[in-house]
Amino acid sequence: METLNELLGGFATAMTWQNLIFAFLGCLLGTIIGVLPGVGPVAGVALLIPITLNLDPAGSIIMLCAIFYGTQYGGTITSVLLNTPGEASSAITTIDGYAMTKIGRAGAALTLAAVGSFIGGTIATVGLVAAAKPLGEMGLLVGPPEFFALMVVGISLLVALAGKSLVKAVISGALGLLISMVGIDPVAGAPRFTFGIDNLLDGVSFVAVIVGVFGLSEILSFRRNDVTPIVHAPGFRQLFPSRTEWRRSAPSMARGTGVGFGLGLIPGMTGSVSSLLSYAAEKKFSRFRHELGKGAVEGVAGPETANNAHANAALIPLFTLGIPASPTIAVLMGAFLQQGLTPGPSLFTEHSDIAWAIIASLFIGNVILLLLNVPLVGLWTSILRVPTPILTAVILLFMVIGAYTINFSVFDVYVMVGFGLLGLALRNLDIPLAPMVLTLVLGPLMERSLRESLEISQGDFSVFLSRPISAVLIAVGLLILCSPLLKIRKPKALTEDPEA
Amino acid sequence: MSRKKIIAAFAAASLIALTGCGANANAGASNSTAGATDFPKKGKSIDLIVAFSSGGAVDTAARLIQPVLEKELGTKVEVVNKPGAGGQIGYTALTSAKPDGYTIGATGSPSVVVSPLDPARGAKYTRDSFKPLGRQVFDPAVIAVQPDSPYKTLKELLDAEKATPKSLTASTTGIQTGEHFALAQIQQVTGSEFAPVHFSEGASQATTAFLGKHVDVLVANVSDVNDLTKQGKARVLGVMSAERSPALPDVPTFKESGYDVEAGTARGYSAPAGLPDAVAKKLEAALEKAIEDPAVVQKMKDLGLQTSYLTAKDYEQMWAGQEGDFKQVLPLVQKKD
Repeated sequence: METLNELLGGFATAMTWQNLIFAFLGCLLGTIIGVLPGVGPVAGVALLIPITLNLDPAGSIIMLCAIFYGTQYGGTITSVLLNTPGEASSAITTIDGYAMTKIGRAGAALTLAAVGSFIGGTIATVGLVAAAKPLGEMGLLVGPPEFFALMVVGISLLVALAGKSLVKAVISGALGLLISMVGIDPVAGAPRFTFGIDNLLDGVSFVAVIVGVFGLSEILSFRRNDVTPIVHAPGFRQLFPSRTEWRRSAPSMARGTGVGFGLGLIPGMTGSVSSLLSYAAEKKFSRFRHELGKGAVEGVAGPETANNAHANAALIPLFTLGIPASPTIAVLMGAFLQQGLTPGPSLFTEHSDIAWAIIASLFIGNVILLLLNVPLVGLWTSILRVPTPILTAVILLFMVIGAYTINFSVFDVYVMVGFGLLGLALRNLDIPLAPMVLTLVLGPLMERSLRESLEISQGDFSVFLSRPISAVLIAVGLLILCSPLLKIRKPKALTEDPEA
Repeated sequence: MSRKKIIAAFAAASLIALTGCGANANAGASNSTAGATDFPKKGKSIDLIVAFSSGGAVDTAARLIQPVLEKELGTKVEVVNKPGAGGQIGYTALTSAKPDGYTIGATGSPSVVVSPLDPARGAKYTRDSFKPLGRQVFDPAVIAVQPDSPYKTLKELLDAEKATPKSLTASTTGIQTGEHFALAQIQQVTGSEFAPVHFSEGASQATTAFLGKHVDVLVANVSDVNDLTKQGKARVLGVMSAERSPALPDVPTFKESGYDVEAGTARGYSAPAGLPDAVAKKLEAALEKAIEDPAVVQKMKDLGLQTSYLTAKDYEQMWAGQEGDFKQVLPLVQKKD
């Protein structure tokens, strides 16, 4: 009960009109930042920290948190409408989101994404209030070996993302792994696969790759087939999901919340892992999995719920242990520190009023985002009324600007163009793109945790099997990998290529 | 034109306008050689390159001094993060910028000292590529064990590790980082060898693994363990500085325990080499004001960071000294295949 009283006190602080304005501004700015492709939440929050420095601690943190999950939603808008992911965690949404746009359901996709984001975010925040401490401690159980085992499960979901041919999925996955190897070798600190190009020292920019592979290659393939994309802006009545769409989305949102919340607790996981694995889970468990890739609502509702559940759950390790679980949270932590607040258990003892006000504002922020975005769906979708040639040009402009603003480097624009061509080649060879994105995200995490595990065990590989959590996870991964061999899969007719 | 069309045009236009913001952050420097008298030109902003991601200790310190620097220099100062490759990306950007005073950078050792020492890293700069402007912080290294660990003193821990080398794992924030060098210096002076586990993502990952008891020993800086000790989640056994740290007054230094080990992270600011003297003087004076500003010092203290200003000359000397120390133990931290 004490918790509830403190939370109510927090609401009292957060509901002052200036804090509400800060939350609203944060959501608005965050959405705008999310819309800009390439400017991810990290850059966005970092860019806006100076603006918030002059506010009081509660107000500034409330605004930054709102910016943070506002970006999670904004990234969806361009993913769905323009096939250009606004940030990494919305990359996978492009597959079904853009497919829905093509069949005139753009409004429904955006509304579902907004509602899913709201549900995922709110449930994760309830978790933060109800059981922050034990949940935070749970995240600590995941050491490097467990993390690696979890990545094995993730990579094994390649099988689920495979289209007609498992071999082609493995080719795509291997390509992703190869690309993720470029940069400084985390083992020796020496450059590898950089061909002496300084710009590659930090690896290939993930956002530039996905914008190229998904977005640019799509546009390039229009020209080749000389088919204009049939995108029509939906009318007002079509902005909202039908009863069937709601019904179908519900289980996906539930799964997405579970995936995002669980992974969000683990330090070192990024939101893009959650949305990818949620999509893979839909491919594996959804009743309508055969429709995924052709504009299935599950492919939007699942990942979009997952990345917001993740974003809010990632605050749990920060509040309970003072551990930033992701780069964005690290930036947020910097803002806490600049305000003289040290995240961690001491935050609740020394500044409990501010801590609870922030938590209350998370709830408020989620509501604001919903109220802000659902009415705006109409405005966003009206972009589609722009005639196709002009729209295509605008999309291209967006992609170039987006790739450039990641690091303000023209090199990333070349990377994007290069990968656009690669994506085009892969499309023509009927190789699915999703596995490549999966391994691109998971590859570096997997390599790092493998190395750290082996340093802990001093080279003994049995470390993965002698620890119960990791042993179970490895077993699950193997089971998923072997499932096609065991013929648990459905008949052939249903295995459709997700990118066809 | 119908209303729908107008709305559509407006939506598209606003989107295009939005993408326009923030895209001009890095306009190239102009070609005028800055004379002392007109530095800094009104309205021409100074970039402060931080070679680490935002939110970390280096970045936070830079952003704390930024407003004071602006006031002192009378022009805008922008903090630009260029993280990656253990600082190498940002340092490369700093040393290849024009030495006209409009680009300065945060430099932290060991990262800035070490990357040119190891030919494997292919760094394009050496110590001579930098013009040090002043040191802000010295953050000594510490060694800590789990609160339920049987080792109560530094001597007990080091003796046990000497008797059975590599029986305990110790965290670092990556190969050839401050913590890794600290471990190498301990090994060189005391003969106690730990099994290093490198968390290349940085201090927060290392701390997380320590909290989850996945590593036995935490090697970190004072600022990293400040809060952990308050919560009773770590028992710090020794500080590798000449004096006891104000943040951890009860923890003996290595010297007090009979080991001659000093290690830590120094953070300061530098410009590319070749900076005109008059410009350097102006920057040094402004930095001194900003670093010594009472409000900044207090905020740094809240973070567990001890401000210890050194002038450009002294900072340069310290840098050279560290380079000597590191060269000695370099073989211990190079990847053995």
